Amino acid sequence: MEQWGLLLDGFASALTPGHLLWALVGVTIGTAVGVLPGIGPALTVALLLPITFRLEASSALILFAGIYYGGMYGGSTTSILLNTPGESASMVSALEGNKMARAGRASAALATAALGSFVAGTIGTLGLTFLAPAVAGFATSFGPPEYVALMAVAFVTVSALLGPDLLKGVASLLVGVAVGLVGIDSQTGQPRLTFGVDSLLDGVDVVIVVIALFALSESFGHLLSGTGSSTVQPLRERVVLSRSDLRRSWPAWLRGTLLGFPIGSLPAGGAEVPTFLSYSVERKLTKHPEAAPSRAWPGPRRPTTPPRRACWCRC
Amino acid sequence: MRAVQDRRTALATGLFGALMLVAAVVVVVDARRLPEQDSATGPAVMPLIVAALLAAVGFGLLVQAGIRLRAAEPTPRSGAGWRVVALVGALLAFAALLPLLGYVVTATGLFVSAALLLGAPRRWVLLAYGWALAAAVFFVFDRLIGLSLPSGPWGF
Repeated sequence: MEQWGLLLDGFASALTPGHLLWALVGVTIGTAVGVLPGIGPALTVALLLPITFRLEASSALILFAGIYYGGMYGGSTTSILLNTPGESASMVSALEGNKMARAGRASAALATAALGSFVAGTIGTLGLTFLAPAVAGFATSFGPPEYVALMAVAFVTVSALLGPDLLKGVASLLVGVAVGLVGIDSQTGQPRLTFGVDSLLDGVDVVIVVIALFALSESFGHLLSGTGSSTVQPLRERVVLSRSDLRRSWPAWLRGTLLGFPIGSLPAGGAEVPTFLSYSVERKLTKHPEAAPSRAWPGPRRPTTPPRRACWCRC
Repeated sequence: MRAVQDRRTALATGLFGALMLVAAVVVVVDARRLPEQDSATGPAVMPLIVAALLAAVGFGLLVQAGIRLRAAEPTPRSGAGWRVVALVGALLAFAALLPLLGYVVTATGLFVSAALLLGAPRRWVLLAYGWALAAAVFFVFDRLIGLSLPSGPWGF
């Protein structure tokens, strides 16, 4: 049980007042920046990188972990209340959480996003401590065929999930792939679809795509329907989870952890693939397919589940 | 009301399908320009596959829109389309004026125009909101974090 000792050592050094203060600062900044649509956790960490030049290594890591977790959580808030995901992994929160908010259950959606994120994040972090060597071995055994298979699963899931119209799902997927073609081909170094514009050589950043497709389309939709004044869904109830909500939610949290943990620990597994996978699992498992807000339960918390695994593995 | 939605959706679907066909042509033209490679998978292979899929799905959307459009009823015109055009114009003006006038002024302009188009009450406080928001963002990002935003001739 050498790992127990190492884990407890880690807790001992992390639980000093100074480090806890850095964690608090990180979570606060992360949530504040994370609720801004379009600025995801990765960008937040990148922006705040200069702050840590004067910090020692463990404080800096704790600060960044706080920023990352806060940023992921803040993304779910904008997704639920504004239907504007801060990064790609909160798309499911936007799809389902916003529906709940429109049905007057915004506080329940926010609460389950926070609690599910906490439960899955804690389980995942603890699990990774013990399983890291084995998972790392499994991850490095992934070759090109496995990646192609994983991407194929993700593509099929995404196009089948986004609405009832399969053709439109495929169309949106193809638009994304076509945007992804822009820039220098990583295999041959040839510029594709750049039309001689230098700034297109690096490709189109995913943040720009997300803002353009989600935030702008949201404003255009409000302009067309004339409903701009009701954008933010007000909180109408106390921010607590009822007992029945909790009973419905916890199996989904655990399933989300089970899906997010292995995929998130693969390099390049990313946060989006397990998010959409668990979303489709929950949609298949639900007993109330007709009640949109109640089947939305599994949605909001998954997005925040897997990414931290990906983060830790990259560290 | 339902017929209105159907017709609008069908028109949008058809337009999107047509755009995808255009995109397919653009991708093919761009891929033909790329140099030939000895290996089986050169830089042009993926674009050609994507272009073929774009064309197929775009054509499918056009057909779908055509079928649904025939069933839909004609709708009375509303001013909503012009509001979207105006917002697109505001965004383009924002992009064009950003290097000239600086972030704070252009972002305030974008905020005010978007808020007015979305139906905010016409009051001077709108200008104050936009200015305060833009100035706060500029202060945090440009001055505190050091990520330089475009500044106009007056330095902000």
